[in-house]
Amino acid sequence: MYRKQVRRRRAVLTLLIIGSFLLLTITYGQSSGGVQRGVSTVFSPLQTVADRALKPARDLVGWFDKTFDARGENSRLEAELATTRIQAVAGQEALQENAQLRKLVALDGAPALAESAYEPVTGRVIARSPTIWNSTVTVDVGSGDGVAVDDPVVSGDGLVGLVASTQGGSAQVRLITDHATAVSAKVVPGGVQGVIRPDVGNPEDLILDFIDSTKDVHGGQTVVTSGWRAEGLASLFPPGLPIGEVTSAPIVEQEASQQVHLRPYADIANLDLVQVLTGGSRG
Amino acid sequence: MIVTPKIFARLVAIAILAVLLQLSFFSRVELLHTSADILPAVVVSLGLLGGSMTGAVAGFSLGFLVDCLLVAPLGGSSLVLLGAGYLAGLFRERFDIHSALVPPLVCMALTLFAELGFAAVQVMLGVDAPVSVLVVRDMLLKSIYAFFLAWPIYFGLRRALRPALVEEPKVTRRHQPTVLGA
Repeated sequence: MYRKQVRRRRAVLTLLIIGSFLLLTITYGQSSGGVQRGVSTVFSPLQTVADRALKPARDLVGWFDKTFDARGENSRLEAELATTRIQAVAGQEALQENAQLRKLVALDGAPALAESAYEPVTGRVIARSPTIWNSTVTVDVGSGDGVAVDDPVVSGDGLVGLVASTQGGSAQVRLITDHATAVSAKVVPGGVQGVIRPDVGNPEDLILDFIDSTKDVHGGQTVVTSGWRAEGLASLFPPGLPIGEVTSAPIVEQEASQQVHLRPYADIANLDLVQVLTGGSRG
Repeated sequence: MIVTPKIFARLVAIAILAVLLQLSFFSRVELLHTSADILPAVVVSLGLLGGSMTGAVAGFSLGFLVDCLLVAPLGGSSLVLLGAGYLAGLFRERFDIHSALVPPLVCMALTLFAELGFAAVQVMLGVDAPVSVLVVRDMLLKSIYAFFLAWPIYFGLRRALRPALVEEPKVTRRHQPTVLGA
């Protein structure tokens, strides 16, 4: 009797392990299978309800966490404010100059987004991946709202990620901190181009890779999407979306390219409202 | 564990509730820049209460559900969580230790095991970006959080599944006989 039980137990365990490996083999490399879509569709309303019900509790824990951080943050912000004041003065001058130049060449002052005819769809984050290895969030807008796979996603601060899969009323967004994400970007001013990749496990650090080492990049510069287009291919992101600020640009001798570290503008850890940029001409 | 249709329904409800709580609450609040992961603790608690088979099946199911709801290759979380659940059940079957510290300690150890497992699966599938050393901090903090969350999770689940439990560890206190006249 006992032997029979042991045999049955081993058989179930072996079956589950084989099942897991089979699922991994079948679904790896595909953005979303039918099963995933079906389960997501069923659970989407439940997730929305759970998200709304748990918001006060989340805010309470968030308040405690932010209070811990506030002390260290204060001195850093004071230093940043002093630098920003100087930059703001320089920025005002640049704005005046820019306005004059625009008048001169009669350029349309519309931003890049309006030019590429993107339609922003606002959504709320209703779920988040529990592991750092898959940095994804679920939003409560989906294909029914016009959201499609590969649509860029932004928050009020800057680029957040890209839509990885959609269902009727929800969509999964792969964040810029996910290991599978790469964004073509440029440093402004200067226009130095590179590719942004995450530093897995550290959501407050991104790496701008493949930068020409002869170009001068320094801390405080802004990094935006480059939005290239060449020979029928185009970047998934429109040009000019703010991504982050350069924090360090170590110079490595005898290297053809250099890596620059930046802090994302978007508060990736505490995303709530986001906008999915639907439609539009890419690049 | 004796799984009747009623208990099965309770187990399904527990799994759904755990996944919803994880994705909508625990993954989205951070303490010391790390969020807690209750899923290994739930699976381990089910393994400790119901044995290795219950743990393994619960782990596989919870992992499958999480992978379905996120953009993750199916099977990765299932594989890791079934391992954690099975080991927890094996611990219950092999060692007859009844202490209030067992659930939190086993949860902590097996959450670390699960986090290492998630990392191993990801490395197996390929990581396309540099990995920060902060990953280690994340794993250790998640294990510590699991230690503290294990108490409410384990005792809550024990209460919910009480009718199905075959043998419940009884905390008995031996009273010293009173010696009259001493």
